[in-house]
Amino acid sequence: MRWFLSFLFLGFWGAVHALSLGPSLTPKLLLDFLKKEGNILLGLSGKAATPTAINSLLQELEIYLPLGRSSVVVDHFNYDTLSAAEKHDVLLLPRPTSLRQGVKSFFSGDGILAIPRAVGQSLGIASPLIAPILRAPETAYPSSSKDDDIFATGTQLALISALQARNSARFTVLGSVEALEDKWFSAHVKGPKDQKQLPTVNREFAKQLSAWAFKETGVLRVGEIKHHLSDKDGAIVGDMNPKIYRIKNDIAFHIELSEHGFDGWVPFDVPSDDALQLDFTMLSPFYRLNLTPKASTKNSTIFGTSFTLPDQHGIFSFRINYRRPFLSNIEEKHEVTLRHFAHNEYPRSWEITGAWVWVTGLWSVIAGFLALVIIWLYSAPSSTAGVRTKKIQ
Amino acid sequence: SHKTLLCPNFPCRCPIARQICQTSDFLTASPQRLSLLAFTTEIILDYDMRLSWQVLSLGLLASVVPSAIAVSWGFRDATVSVQKKGAGVGAGVQEKILENKRLPQVIKLGEPYTLKVTLTTQEGESPKKPHQAFLQLKDPDTGLDISYPFSVKDNGKARLELMQDDLPIQFLRSLHPFDAEVIIGSFGSSVAYHGTAFSLQIERNTAAPIPSPEAERYGKLKEIRHIFNPSAKSPPIIVTLVFVVVVLAASPILAGIWVFLGANLNHLPVAAKSAPLPHVIFVGSIIGLEGIFFMYYTCWTLFQTLPAVLAVGSITFFSGSRALSEVQGRRLAGLR
Repeated sequence: MRWFLSFLFLGFWGAVHALSLGPSLTPKLLLDFLKKEGNILLGLSGKAATPTAINSLLQELEIYLPLGRSSVVVDHFNYDTLSAAEKHDVLLLPRPTSLRQGVKSFFSGDGILAIPRAVGQSLGIASPLIAPILRAPETAYPSSSKDDDIFATGTQLALISALQARNSARFTVLGSVEALEDKWFSAHVKGPKDQKQLPTVNREFAKQLSAWAFKETGVLRVGEIKHHLSDKDGAIVGDMNPKIYRIKNDIAFHIELSEHGFDGWVPFDVPSDDALQLDFTMLSPFYRLNLTPKASTKNSTIFGTSFTLPDQHGIFSFRINYRRPFLSNIEEKHEVTLRHFAHNEYPRSWEITGAWVWVTGLWSVIAGFLALVIIWLYSAPSSTAGVRTKKIQ
Repeated sequence: SHKTLLCPNFPCRCPIARQICQTSDFLTASPQRLSLLAFTTEIILDYDMRLSWQVLSLGLLASVVPSAIAVSWGFRDATVSVQKKGAGVGAGVQEKILENKRLPQVIKLGEPYTLKVTLTTQEGESPKKPHQAFLQLKDPDTGLDISYPFSVKDNGKARLELMQDDLPIQFLRSLHPFDAEVIIGSFGSSVAYHGTAFSLQIERNTAAPIPSPEAERYGKLKEIRHIFNPSAKSPPIIVTLVFVVVVLAASPILAGIWVFLGANLNHLPVAAKSAPLPHVIFVGSIIGLEGIFFMYYTCWTLFQTLPAVLAVGSITFFSGSRALSEVQGRRLAGLR
């Protein structure tokens, strides 16, 4: 009960203020909150050093901050000449494009972002759960009062990074909490190479960022899953979702997916270089097939494929395991039994051309038997035959 | 006369560039202290596609506002050398890079060699230590970049030593030369410098395997399709037919041997006269049993076959006892 209440509380509150966590808000508590599918947006500021509790929490998640001292990302090429002509600590960057090919981007668009006094984060390479939302420009680097060795520079520094845990709980680290101030929502900035002042798009970006961080966008939902035996035209034969199939049956599989946008559930479109894949496995996948969109309703897209079941009998499962950066995870598993051929489902002997020799042998023996019976019943001894046998004796 | 500009935006959309295109003053390289304009002209006339747009626009910006010439950072007395550890200063490759310009040759870095870059950073014309002095290596294929900081003394002299071990794994896999760019910048209003200094080609020991960064990432996997066992095949039909003919040939041979041994149907009218019904039923039921076997062979189940066998079999038994007693009669009469 206590955990349930704390989930609600923190879920509505949303952002956790960075400067002091207090004695009861331990890193373990925050991790447990994530385990209960709570989302956290953490705002940091370069004006103060990050507390060690936060540092250790982020280290658990493989997001590395400069230790101890307060450090700000500066860039001598992309700074705002109006507000940071000397210190160069207000960065001007365009909104990010997609992380890589095949990954849907939730933060892109036109315009210039102003990121004042950001704390740069360096992301560990091993984990597939973390991804940078906004990377620093290539000439940026972290500068602090004690200039010892620099832990990351340029595009290896992330200004906003995100972790999506395996239960789809999201932890977003915003390097510059000042970028969300009203002052920067309607500011005008001018870079060292610009001729005129430009408005910032911090407001639109904040809307995109908070929508993603609190699971309003980038959320996938599975509707119905259907599989059935199909004839050669693809029409259904028998029941929908039977529990047992036979080896080498032709079947069709369909799954319905929706995505949550700003205005409710909409049909989900898989990005062009990516594919939703179905695994048909028993211990290891016998099939891994790309599902193609077959139909779409008002709220969802139906993806499907058809294939021939393998010639190995056993307990198989249909598995969909769709995990991508910035999209919530889809994991489905449906078991079916595959039986072998029944004794009367094999081809008959006369259909097997190699068996004709034995079939003719069989029936010629039967014909010979009938002939023998009739001759034995109605044959009279023949004089010449008797003479021949007598002579041999 | 005008020289042709290579504007990186084609067609030139930037209003500054268009203005400069039309101004002839800019195009005549003046030998004065406007070294900024000089190097910009040189780079503009360089038809290498890896022109840094930032460097060009720095020069253009400076030339548009001639009254407030912004001081800008740069470097001079730069040398880049590739040497083996322990070898003397003279051994290996050593090249001088002209002030704020780019070396045309490609520097090659092999496995045991050290790349050494030294330069003197300057603000305007005076040597000074900047806050940021990096050598940035950029991979043209993947777009990845990494920066190595120079160690700079207060009089502006900077040096950096790099070996192949210091490079990230992704760079070792690339086949094309990298751009080695110098970034010099500091706080304040001086314009920072970012320009390509030379090209660096990594020479790997081709016998050693390319190390690959092991990291799990979520994405599309390769499709797998089950390979079925090959289904059973019969031999070619002509082979089968030959042997069928061989089997069928046994029947006439058998018939011929029987005829040779004197088989006939002479007692058929005799039997028909003495016990017609039992004989007909007997022979009919034997043929019936074979017929039941044929039905079982083609479509009947055992549960349909067994009652039929029971029925026809009992007919065979009872009619057979009569028919065979007639045959016994013929035998006892000495006719058989």
